[in-house]
Parts: sequence; structure tokens; C-alpha cells
Amino acid sequence: MEWRWDFTFDVVLPRLWEAAGITVYATFASFFLALIGGLVLMLLKTAKNPVVSGIATELIELIRATPLLVLIFFLFFVLPEFGLTLPPLATGILAIAIYNSALMAEVYRAGLQAVPKGQWEAAIALNLSTYKTFRRIIIPQTLPPIVPALGNYLIAIFKETPLLSFVAVAEMMHAAKLIGSEYYRFTEAVTIAGLFFLVMSLVSAQLVRQVETYVKRSIQH
Amino acid sequence: MSEPKIRFDKVLKAYGPLKVLEDLDFHVDASEVVTIIGPSGSGKTTVLRVLMTLEPIQGGVMYVDGEPLNMMMSDGQLVPASKAHVRRIRDKIGMVFQSFNLFPHMTALENCIEAPIHSKGMAKSKAIDESMDLLAMVGLADKRDHYPSQLSGGQQQRVAIARALAMRPEILLFDEPTSALDPEMVGEVLSVIRRLAESGDYTILLVTHQMGFARDVSDRVCFFDGGRMVEQGKPEALFGHPRNERLKQFLSKVLEAV
Repeated sequence: MEWRWDFTFDVVLPRLWEAAGITVYATFASFFLALIGGLVLMLLKTAKNPVVSGIATELIELIRATPLLVLIFFLFFVLPEFGLTLPPLATGILAIAIYNSALMAEVYRAGLQAVPKGQWEAAIALNLSTYKTFRRIIIPQTLPPIVPALGNYLIAIFKETPLLSFVAVAEMMHAAKLIGSEYYRFTEAVTIAGLFFLVMSLVSAQLVRQVETYVKRSIQH
Repeated sequence: MSEPKIRFDKVLKAYGPLKVLEDLDFHVDASEVVTIIGPSGSGKTTVLRVLMTLEPIQGGVMYVDGEPLNMMMSDGQLVPASKAHVRRIRDKIGMVFQSFNLFPHMTALENCIEAPIHSKGMAKSKAIDESMDLLAMVGLADKRDHYPSQLSGGQQQRVAIARALAMRPEILLFDEPTSALDPEMVGEVLSVIRRLAESGDYTILLVTHQMGFARDVSDRVCFFDGGRMVEQGKPEALFGHPRNERLKQFLSKVLEAV
């Protein structure tokens, strides 16, 4: 095996750099959709109506029990049967978002449950409205424990994006595979893609840690 | 005869088949200090909790100043109260909990000004002035910027009392306010409650196991057992000459322990 630097710089890096943009875009888009989706699922799961909460609970279980790749294929090949054809990237982002919504719903729920019942009761005794109770009392106490957990999902999602290469989304892994098959050289492309993931994982882990410290400092003493 | 400050009319509180309060008729006059005693499971704390609307009741009506709390008048009929109605009446009631329930992410002062600003809409500077007076009254003006975790149990409970007073309630509910405290901190909290009781500014309902304190500060003591008020009277009478057999047993047990 020999490593060719000219090939690395002339072909691999430019094309992977382009693909890295897609990877980052898919990561953050899925993450933000999942943040909202998880909140919605949690609210449905904790709804007073037993039918609503039952359906939400089953749905969460179903999603969690399904491998992400199956979910991606399902949305990609089955949704068009129902007349809904989305571009591969949108399908992929949606699949990752749905999958992680189910996981994040549990994070939210655990965070809410960690707030003692007495806090709600004190809020009632002080005649705070439901909105003010959430905004001023409950959410500030929920955030410090859930922010690190949600941050870990951001990194997990980032590492899930290569699965999108199976439905031909032009993210990094897909680009690396294409380069490999075009030039019959996989070493450089796959190694550089791996390095990209490593560096970006480390950077985002550091970022998550800083957000964590910031939240702790600004919300809890 | 004027309307009592608080009136329970056939109040029923049940968890499934278990009746915690059964057809309770009960009233407290304005500026009266009433202590509720009784064994655990007697429903004494539940009286405070349903009045604070922490838990719904399954029957009966609770009145504050003659106005229904859990119900409201609509076209001359009593109907279940709206949220807005409950909030309007509830504004007159403040509560101090056994476990303090201070907001851990706020300082002592922030705990006190939170509800005046965000529930009553008071200006921040005014809320701070009033709350500082209250913190001074409970002897904790110098702890204004301390978080609950930096305060002792007794100090936390005194902040909690200041926080309840900051809402300018007319009725104060104390739910075993010293039960979670180390013995050496009980006195500092009781002395604050004693001052509030003697001021005559508040109608006070107190649940406590401190029999000596109950005898000292109460205008009236009520003994609860099995979800019913079994006996009530002036403290001297109730403690000195209990008539009910269960009350006699209860008193001999708790007084023995002292």
C-alpha cells in the first residue's frame, strides 16, 4: 500500500470538503428537528388522555426498536408509495430526526421527573400561572441535567449521518466511496473521511462541554 | 354573625375507595390561629393541601371570605371553578411546607420577589424593598444573596416564610413547618411563627407535632382522626381535659415522648 499525497490534496480533500458541508447540515437539521420532535412526543406521552399517551408510548417504543438504517430505507422506499416523494437528503434528515426524537423524548421526561413535586406545589402556593411555573421554575431546573444528554445526541447524530450514503446522499462517506470506486483507490478517501469525523467529533464534544458549563453557570449557581 | 374566613362545607377527599376527609365541616374565623393535631393518616395535612388547591376534592365546597374556592357562582348556580377564579381566591392564601420547597436556582431574595413580580405584577424595586423587610423580619437580611443550598434548614424555612409573606396573604398555612428540622433549629422557626400568630394580621392554620407550641399560640386546637374532626376546643381544654378516647390515647403517646 502506498499513500499518494498529490491524490489526497488534488482530489480527495476538495471533494470531501464539499461533502463535509452536507454532513454538518444534515447533523444540525436532524438535531433541531429531533429537539422539537422529542418535546412533542414527550408532551403526547405525558398527556392526560390515555389514548393519546398510549399511542405516543407505543410509537416511541416502535421507533426505538427499529434500526435507523431500516427507518431510512422505509421512508425512502415506502413514502413514495403513498405519493410523498422527498429528495434523499430531506428523507435522510427526517429519518434521523424521527429516530432521535424518540430517544430525546425520554431525556426530556427524565429531566422533568427529576424536578421534585414540591417545586410544583410551591409554585401553586405562590399563585404562579402554569406558563410562569414552566418558564421560571421548572425549565431552569430541567435544563442543567438534560443539556449534556442532548449534547451527546448531537454527537451521536453526527456519527449516524454516514448511513445516509445508503440512499445516495452526498455526505462524506458517500463521497469517499465514490472517489474510491472512480479511482480504484480507497485508502486516502476513507482515511481522510475518518479523520474528518474524528476531528469534528472532538470539536463538537468540546463545544457541548462548553455549552454545558455555560448553562450550569447561568441557570444554576 | 360575620362570615368565617375559611369554611369547609361537607368536604370529601378520597383516593379511590380511601376517604381521607369525610364530609368535613370546619371553619376558621378571621385572625384566628387554629392548630390541627392528630396521628399520621388522620387527614390533618390534607386539610391544608386541599385548601391550597394542591389536590382536588371529590365533594363539598370550600369557602374563603364567603366566596367558594373550588366552585364558582354562574347564573345563580355553583359550578366547578375556572382556573382564573381559583387563582383569584387562592391569592389570599400562602403556604409553608414541611420540606421548605425553596427554588434551588434562586437566591433567598430572588425566591421572595419571584411571585410578587411574576404573579402579582409588582414592580421589581418595590418587590425588593418589601422582601428585604420580610427577610429582616425573619432575621436573614444578610443572607439575601445566598442560595438555599448554602443555608441551614432553619434558615431555609425562615426564607420560605418570608417568601409566603411577600405575596401578602391573609391566610397562612403551615404544614409541619419544623418536622424536617434538626432539633436545635426548631426554635428559630417557631419564634417567627409565634410572632406572626401574635400579630393578629393573619388567619393561621397550623399542622404540627409541637404540642407545647400548639398550646401556647393557638386560639383553638382541632384533633383529627380517620378523616374526621373528632374533637376541638381551646388548647387548655383540649390538652387539659380531653374527652374523646382516641384523643386521650394520642396525647398520652405524644406527651410521653417529650
